[in-house]
Amino acid sequence: MNVLKKLRHDWILYVMLVPPLAYFVIFHVIPILGMRLAFQDYRIIGDNVWVGFKHFEVLFSSPAFMNVIRNTLIISAMKMIFGFPVPILLAILINEVTQRHFRKYVQSVVYLPHFLSWVVIAGIWIKLLSPSEGAVNLIANFFGEPSIDYMTSKAHIRWVFVASEIWRSAGWDSIIYLAAIMSISPALYEAAKIDGASRLQSMFHITLPQLTGTIVTVFILNLGFFMSAGFDQVFNMMNDSVISVADILDTYVYRIGIVNGQFAYSTAASLFKGVIGIVLILGTHFTSRRLTGRGLW
Amino acid sequence: MRRVELTKVIIHVFLFLCTLAVLLPLINLLAVSLTDPAHAHLMDGLDLWPKKFSLATYEVLLNNSLIAGGILNSVFITAAGTCLNLLLTTMAAYVIARNNFYGKGLVVIFLIIIMVFEPGLIPEYLLVKELDLLNTYTSLILYKGINVYYLFIMMRYFQDVPEELLDAAKIDGAGHLRIYAQVMLPLSKAGIATLGLFYGVFHWNEYFRSMIYITDQAKWPLQVVLRQFVIRQDNTTIMGGYENMFGGQLVDFDALQAGTIIIAIVPLLLLYPLILKYYTKGAMEGGVKE
Repeated sequence: MNVLKKLRHDWILYVMLVPPLAYFVIFHVIPILGMRLAFQDYRIIGDNVWVGFKHFEVLFSSPAFMNVIRNTLIISAMKMIFGFPVPILLAILINEVTQRHFRKYVQSVVYLPHFLSWVVIAGIWIKLLSPSEGAVNLIANFFGEPSIDYMTSKAHIRWVFVASEIWRSAGWDSIIYLAAIMSISPALYEAAKIDGASRLQSMFHITLPQLTGTIVTVFILNLGFFMSAGFDQVFNMMNDSVISVADILDTYVYRIGIVNGQFAYSTAASLFKGVIGIVLILGTHFTSRRLTGRGLW
Repeated sequence: MRRVELTKVIIHVFLFLCTLAVLLPLINLLAVSLTDPAHAHLMDGLDLWPKKFSLATYEVLLNNSLIAGGILNSVFITAAGTCLNLLLTTMAAYVIARNNFYGKGLVVIFLIIIMVFEPGLIPEYLLVKELDLLNTYTSLILYKGINVYYLFIMMRYFQDVPEELLDAAKIDGAGHLRIYAQVMLPLSKAGIATLGLFYGVFHWNEYFRSMIYITDQAKWPLQVVLRQFVIRQDNTTIMGGYENMFGGQLVDFDALQAGTIIIAIVPLLLLYPLILKYYTKGAMEGGVKE
């Protein structure tokens, strides 16, 4: 069949593609092209004026922007260092549970927070950490420690981000490791048992090494989102007293763009983030593919 | 032998504590919200049982125009948005799942580009503004109309439908539209349920675009009301002045906030058995490619 004949034969397929493609063009392609605003000055009436790299020059000479980048990197790194190992550990522990009902109970409960919005989670954590009535401070008081207002403390807020991220995601993120563990051949464990290995030894000498491939993949893919640092979380948990240590790129873009109305300047900041993000995502995708055969798509 | 048992006990205790860390904060909020408003100030973060049981807090909440309206807005946006998501996603997935479809490679490349390049916040906002969609439900129903990851997951479900069934339909004279609607969709119920839950949870939890696009408070979905009330501690907007409130009925703001959080969680809890059944499986299949 030649091309024309094929097109005529399957014309209805192309008609079916029109609504989804039209959606992508209007709501995705057009705003992507709209990112050119980063090189323009915004005009309410008439055409925008091209200004070259003006906004970027202002951006990179602004101490506020540098601080935002530093916060983004620090918060991302903290989450990576302290948050990343938790789901691996959790999966290994869940795998040790042989009693079916208890295992199911644990899994059902630890997956739950993943489905709550960050508005809800921030609400829960604000209550949990309240200096007067929050459970955490009441327990601290019981042991004779004074209350700490974690949400407004510059020294603590980033740790609150790390902890609440673990609370929300560790359970759900353990699924992928659990699936990998279950595909490990039982023969390995049987052989180890015959050799007299304890449960703990099996965990560290069989389970963990067998997981390396999955761990590397997940780690690399996570790197792709390093510049995001979790907008929804920070946005809902941040307040004016901790803004200097909590403000990240995305919250900054929102504030100067939507709140202050500096559309072009804010777009420049988000384009900067977007470009680094794409380099990271493409870089990690191809690295991951080469190393482990698994990519983002 | 005894050492093995000890390890096992420690693991079980630890995991049980993990589940408590998730459940106890929720149970505490539930207990506070179910306490009689006059006794609610006696409740603190460690109480897991109402001091004096009462539904007064929920009565107040459900009679509040912003909260009750927020629930209705959220239900409407979630239902309409999810239906549109499913329609667009299954249509595209059906076409891409046809192997003899000329131009398939091009479409897939386009979709991957879409997946990698995210538009920024400001151009999206300006587009919605230009289309005159600010302050409309439409802006939220259309937001994230198709998720490319989910599209690929749906495509895999469609590819699992046996080729012979499609051929049989073709021989009976069915065109693509009929095969799509009367063969593919009914045979891919699990896939549709999975995606419906993905999209539904997304819409229910969405707050940020709603907050930016909708300035008319009567159109706020529940998450925006919740944010204003619990996170921004804006009691006045949500509940009005103290004096014109509920005809002098006693209220407790902590209890009201706790109740609002619970209301936002309830639909997810109701769907949770389904979520565990479909979502978990779908997430596995989407996350790990063969």
